[in-house]
Amino acid sequence: MDEQAGPGVFFNNNNSGLPGAGKGPQQPGDVGGGEAARAHYNIPGILHFLQHEWARFEVDRAQWEVERAELQAQIAFLQGERKGQENLKKDLVRRIKMLEYALKQERSKYHKLKYGTELNQGDMKPPSYDDSDEGNENEVPSPPNSSQLGWKQGRQLLRQYLQEVGYTDTIMDVKSQRVRALLGLAGDSGERPSVRKPEPMVNGTEPSLLKDSGMISKPDMSDSATVLEAFKFIESAAAEFSDEDDDEDSDGRDKTIMNLATMVRKKTSSSPSSSDMSDDPDTEEALKGFDFLASPDEMEGSPDVRSVEDSDDWEKEEQCPMPEAWDVDQGLIAQLKEQYRKERKGKKGVKRPNRSKLQDMLANLRDAEDLPSMQPPVTPPSRPSVPRLNEHEVGHPEEVEAMTFPPTSGKSFIMGPDEVAESELGLGELAGLTVANEADSLAYDVTNSQDALRKTWNPKFTLRSHFDSIRGLAFHPVEPVLVTASEDHTLKLWNLQKTAPAKKCAALDVEPIYTFRAHRGAVLCVTMSSTGEQCFSGGVDGTIQSWNTPNPNIDPYDSYEPSVLRGALLGHTDSVWGVVYSSAHQRLLSCSGDGTVRLWNAANTSPALAIFNEKGELGVPTSVDLVCSEPAHMVTSFSTGEIGLFNMETRQLILKLDQTGEPEAPCKINKVLSHPTLPITITAQEDRHIQFFDNNTGKCIHSMVAHLDAVTSLAVDPNGLYLMSGSHDCSIRLWNMESKTCIQEFTAHRKKSDEAIHDVAFHPTKCYIGSAGADALAKVFV
Amino acid sequence: MVMAEGAAVMRRNRPGTKEKVPDFSNMLFRKIMLNIHSSHTVFVGVVTSSKSVTNMYSVCSQGECHPDTCTQMTATEQWIFLCAAHKTPKECPAIDYTRHTLDGAACLLNSNKYFPSRVSIKESSVGKLGSVCRRIYRIFSHAYFHHRQIFDKYENETFLCHRFTRFVMKYNLMSKDNLIVPIMEDETNPNEAEGENDA
Repeated sequence: MDEQAGPGVFFNNNNSGLPGAGKGPQQPGDVGGGEAARAHYNIPGILHFLQHEWARFEVDRAQWEVERAELQAQIAFLQGERKGQENLKKDLVRRIKMLEYALKQERSKYHKLKYGTELNQGDMKPPSYDDSDEGNENEVPSPPNSSQLGWKQGRQLLRQYLQEVGYTDTIMDVKSQRVRALLGLAGDSGERPSVRKPEPMVNGTEPSLLKDSGMISKPDMSDSATVLEAFKFIESAAAEFSDEDDDEDSDGRDKTIMNLATMVRKKTSSSPSSSDMSDDPDTEEALKGFDFLASPDEMEGSPDVRSVEDSDDWEKEEQCPMPEAWDVDQGLIAQLKEQYRKERKGKKGVKRPNRSKLQDMLANLRDAEDLPSMQPPVTPPSRPSVPRLNEHEVGHPEEVEAMTFPPTSGKSFIMGPDEVAESELGLGELAGLTVANEADSLAYDVTNSQDALRKTWNPKFTLRSHFDSIRGLAFHPVEPVLVTASEDHTLKLWNLQKTAPAKKCAALDVEPIYTFRAHRGAVLCVTMSSTGEQCFSGGVDGTIQSWNTPNPNIDPYDSYEPSVLRGALLGHTDSVWGVVYSSAHQRLLSCSGDGTVRLWNAANTSPALAIFNEKGELGVPTSVDLVCSEPAHMVTSFSTGEIGLFNMETRQLILKLDQTGEPEAPCKINKVLSHPTLPITITAQEDRHIQFFDNNTGKCIHSMVAHLDAVTSLAVDPNGLYLMSGSHDCSIRLWNMESKTCIQEFTAHRKKSDEAIHDVAFHPTKCYIGSAGADALAKVFV
Repeated sequence: MVMAEGAAVMRRNRPGTKEKVPDFSNMLFRKIMLNIHSSHTVFVGVVTSSKSVTNMYSVCSQGECHPDTCTQMTATEQWIFLCAAHKTPKECPAIDYTRHTLDGAACLLNSNKYFPSRVSIKESSVGKLGSVCRRIYRIFSHAYFHHRQIFDKYENETFLCHRFTRFVMKYNLMSKDNLIVPIMEDETNPNEAEGENDA
């Protein structure tokens, strides 16, 4: 640097700022000497300084520019977001208003229809949409349109929910079509028809719903839109009761169905009509609850097509907004859907998805407070599909519904459909009633007989632990406990209340709580004493083992209790095929392949008290039973087809009943059973027949072909009204005792080596049926 | 369950019949001898074995084997076997060990979770077969060393231990070191015990 450069150079080169200004800050350390410091300044230095500063400023400026640009971009983004949220909020508010308005409208209409007076619902003006700043032009139009729009939106959302639940589009379309057809039929009449045309569609079991429909089809269709009619039609029933309930649900949808059910149920005299209408509360409640799901469907008859197209558009939009409004229901529904899905996995009754789905929706809606009466017709739209299901049902009675339902009190099962209507209102505690009841109270009678089937049995428990076929089973007299006897030489004790949830199938798996080991061969039969404290089993080894039944609540892996085995009753020389306990005398009867029937004292293990048929006059006994109407008698069936009635006290043969089967071809009897109250003996035969004999005359009263293969076992329900038969054709059939007609058939168990079902039994006090299969499974139905 | 080809038997056992039903374990044994090899066989074999063991031994042992006499499950003096049927392995008396093991085997083999099908075995469940066999073998060994008379009597009737040993060896369900019951036939097994003390 040329420090010799004079001021001239300095001035020439100095273009930015004055040296003084620049120098001041540049010389911070120079406190004292101003001029001495000045002497250090030189033009190049100053120049450099200035240039440096300038560059720095430039850099800063550039940075600031960048920052500003970023911040501006962020601002723009946030603004956009905010706008979006505002729009969203506007939409929500708008929808809420629309729906509320629509609801009010329909309520008032219905109320007017019903009572002829105006309902004071407060503000009935169409909601104004001005609160949203950007008054959305779409929402300005007239209320019907807006409500229609809202309906459409709501409908799409609900359609989506329905699909989640399991309703398919086809079902909804069919339903909407049917409703339209229904409306078309009944729309012009304008009076309250009694059950009319719609009735035949529903198999006569839900006239109430149809009455509603008739009622609803008022001429109050000033709005030409079929849509509104449909909406009314569906909503009216709901609205009727909601109005009467003092409009407890201004946003009725949002309350849980339970509340509605409670309110509805409390009305006992609301329905003007007969007891059929007493179904209405439940019906209406279901309608109301469910229709809010499905009704938007029906609201638009013609826009049905449109809705389908729009569904995609709407669904996404509706995804977010609606859940808030539907929060309560949705949570409930989702939870129940999950439960339903879990239970539905692998169930057998998949052949009837419609009914199951409907039932599921019912279950969803009804949750704890389950109501009896109608099962399929959850909504009027679904009613038309009910006849479809009914016919389907009738045609396939053997399909077993694998829906699981919580076990209910015994009372609920006893009610027939006639009683259900009264009882549902009379009973305060209806919590015990489940959907199963609703399903079952509909008499699905194969022969369309007039008797009411008490219930339809569904498989509930699968008892899986034996290694080989189960030959016999016996229920405990009071507890939900049973004992199974198997060819794997063991007996197992099961407690039905200790179940392990099985992931795959709908039926619950049960594990045994105790295994009885003492037999040296297959165990063929088992029976329990009348108190359930003891059980007796007979096996191929010719012994009858007597056991003390362990407590049903023990741990399966407790220590060994030698006291469980009481002892063996010895005497038979060949397999013991049947044991029967007599509570009257504390005696045990057994029949064996050695040709004898022996009577034992059940209290100890002393040798037999009496031996019958010692010489084998009648053949080899196959089964034995006590005659219930005559305490001293017992009946034995033989392999020759003979049946002998013995007096146990005199040890004499009283009567030989008619031979079974054709006179020329007596057939083997697999099981003989005595009717609980009447002097009738029933036999299950190898020739597929079941025959009934009179004990007094010995004549065959009735004979019927019962199965496709040999009938292996019989059981009578404790009331003596139903007969159950199991057969090697893998089916179990329930028969009405009086009419001798088959009420229900279900397939259970797989065939193994030509054998399928070995034994069936009723629980003496609870509502269980058990079946013992050759596939090493025992199944319990409720 | 479909058994071997030559075993098409009309297995109906109607009440009143006197004929004996063919015994599965015999059929299985024959099948093994014929070298019919499949996972189905293995599964069936294990099931059958445990079933047979269930029946025979429990029945017999109930007379002799008491919690007082056999307070622990042992075979030789080296190891005490803990019962795996509890949450934490427990030192059950021999009879309890036997019962629990057989019950546990029944549950396991019948459970859908581990053995959903009878004709194929899940990879994850193959190991379970081994442990089931190992525990069942302990029942044999306990009986052999502690209740010799009953064991001999029973073995002469049914040859159950022989059959089980051959079955296990054929399918490699257990290591040979575990097979401590001396089999008097031509096929000898190492007699030294390495019984595991596991849960």
